[in-house]
Amino acid sequence: MSLRPTKAFHPYAMLAPTLVLLGLFSIVPLGVAFHRSFFAWDLLTPAEPVGFDNYRFLWSSGELLEVGWRTLAYSVVVVSASLTLGLALALALNREGRFYAFVRSAVFSAYVVSWVAVGLLWLWLLDPQAGLVARVTRGLGWTPVDWLGNPKVVLFTLAGVTVWKITGYAMVIFLAGLKDVPRSVLEAAALDGAGPWQRFHRIVWPLLRPTAAFVGTTSLILSFQAFDIVRVMTQGGPVRSSTIFVYAIYEQVFVNLRIGRASALTVVFFLLLVGLTGLQWRWWRNRPRAKTTL
Amino acid sequence: MSPSEAPSRRAFALGLAALFASACDRPPRPSGEVAFWFSYGGNNRKVLLELIERFHQEQSRVHVVATFQGDYFEGLIKLRTALFVGAAPTITHVVGEVVPYLAQAGVLQQLDGIGAESLADLEPALAQAGTFEGGENEPLVALPFNRSTPIAFYNRTLFDELGLRPPTTWDGLRDVARRGGSTGTAARWGFECPVDWWFWTALVGQAGGRIIENGKVTLGGTAGVRALELWQTMVHDDRTMRSPPGRDFNAWEATNGDFLAGRAAMIWTSTAFVRYLEEHASFSVGAAALPGDVRRAVPTGGTFFVMPKGLPESEQAAGLTFLRWMMQPKQASEWARRTGYMPVSKAGRRELEDSGFFREHPNFAVAVDQLSVAERWPWAPSLFRIQREAVQPRLEAAVAARLDARTVLAAACAQSEER
Repeated sequence: MSLRPTKAFHPYAMLAPTLVLLGLFSIVPLGVAFHRSFFAWDLLTPAEPVGFDNYRFLWSSGELLEVGWRTLAYSVVVVSASLTLGLALALALNREGRFYAFVRSAVFSAYVVSWVAVGLLWLWLLDPQAGLVARVTRGLGWTPVDWLGNPKVVLFTLAGVTVWKITGYAMVIFLAGLKDVPRSVLEAAALDGAGPWQRFHRIVWPLLRPTAAFVGTTSLILSFQAFDIVRVMTQGGPVRSSTIFVYAIYEQVFVNLRIGRASALTVVFFLLLVGLTGLQWRWWRNRPRAKTTL
Repeated sequence: MSPSEAPSRRAFALGLAALFASACDRPPRPSGEVAFWFSYGGNNRKVLLELIERFHQEQSRVHVVATFQGDYFEGLIKLRTALFVGAAPTITHVVGEVVPYLAQAGVLQQLDGIGAESLADLEPALAQAGTFEGGENEPLVALPFNRSTPIAFYNRTLFDELGLRPPTTWDGLRDVARRGGSTGTAARWGFECPVDWWFWTALVGQAGGRIIENGKVTLGGTAGVRALELWQTMVHDDRTMRSPPGRDFNAWEATNGDFLAGRAAMIWTSTAFVRYLEEHASFSVGAAALPGDVRRAVPTGGTFFVMPKGLPESEQAAGLTFLRWMMQPKQASEWARRTGYMPVSKAGRRELEDSGFFREHPNFAVAVDQLSVAERWPWAPSLFRIQREAVQPRLEAAVAARLDARTVLAAACAQSEER
């Protein structure tokens, strides 16, 4: 059977649904945002062209750097912790049996719960007065930490909640990756005297690297797009210490009524995300290839 | 499929255009239908929906479809978006500070059609003219319904035990906060208040300042600084005030929650919560006017009914019928009695006074009595930006990190001038 299209337009027709959706909901809005970033506009009164003023303001006010660093810090914690924990759990739970199946399901279950429910659950757990965590801490005779009220801690609290939610996803992807590691190679290595660490380091990890790249990239994008958890748990506070990128965009549009500034932030956000994703892929690709001999 | 059978590009483009057009144009509402977006939660929402139900029982010409749209600010977000895409409701309600901004944007319908009789019965201090300086010179675009002032609530049982009285001065406030708090296993804050623009404005007024003076944004000058420093002192030096976590109404909810749980001896919040706090507290709740400094002053709050511009005349008429009914003395007094908001109808207020309601429920009378010291907001389109963009985000940081109040407010003033 030939895979050559019988008509020249067939490939385009096949691509059309995806292209239309991508165009309508991604490319066109991005183009509109880029255009709007050069205007001062509040949705209600006519837009006024302001050149690069929106970008200039974001830079000179420090907003861009503050939000950028904060988001990066949050992302570093989320990506590294979910990657490490997901891999560790996958290695530990990659076994047959009902018990392991139950634990795998339990870990993954957090991923299917909505962000709002997760936020509300953790709000209750972390309440400094009535929360379970504070009660246990007080019961042990320690002073409870104000997980959501302390500006120095809150960002890492949100990152922790995010890791708790998405680690199950990372674990499942790693489990799928582990299924592709040939058992015969591992058995041969074991017969040759390779210990568990050597087998992981020399065989499993190099074969899992594309999976890790995928998990890392999706976690990075997910962490950069975090919004619900901030909206539900902290509304960007206290003292804006948990205002990360998407929430900052939301604030510009819906609190400050500044569509132009929000659009400028969106454009910067997009470029940053593209850049970071590119860097991440490059880094994973340029890692030395797996050695085939032990 | 032969090329001749394939739909032409033009037909496809026309179809797409038609699809967009149909998606963007709001179909006209059925005759007599009023879309009403509201932002009341809890008990206030229940009372509102019961009032609407009664409206339907009393007449059949107008049908109100009421939709909850989140808190005031979430509701405002949706209103602006709806105005932009031409899908606005017939009626909604917005906070007072945003009325001049929306009026200047030209998106509000003039509401003179409500009728002279309804207008004459409005409580002057709560209507557009009495709420805003120069509001009487502007076209009538906002009608009052749920109007409030900030008031103090205190744990009367605790106050009686400790021999405390609600404070009437700032010094008194600090003293009561000190004596009302406790440490140890049953830790309790002496005072809790959302670090919010509304309460800060009250303090500015009490310290003798105005947000805008002679057309210039001053944020109260020295009075604004003193207002902010009072909070900073109580939080950091006295350690008697809790600044509740959360933004906007999340902080208000936290404040109410702490009060009801016995974790705060006294709070400042809106008169809108009188009924809610009385019904949910396990102790006797007292309400008191806010203290004064160089003078007594409070801002008014709550929301006004507004109608987007450009609706079909029949829809406008239906909307006005509903508003007229809502502002009648019977509904206005019932709303006030069951919630804690102030009656916007003079006759409605008289009804409550004559029936002895205020004597039996003195907490409900506090806000009404406090109206005598209510200060008017400036009719400034920038007021909303000053509130949301320049002041509100800075207050929390200034109190939490004890930033220099003068520097913080100078930066807020500078940002207020920004377009």
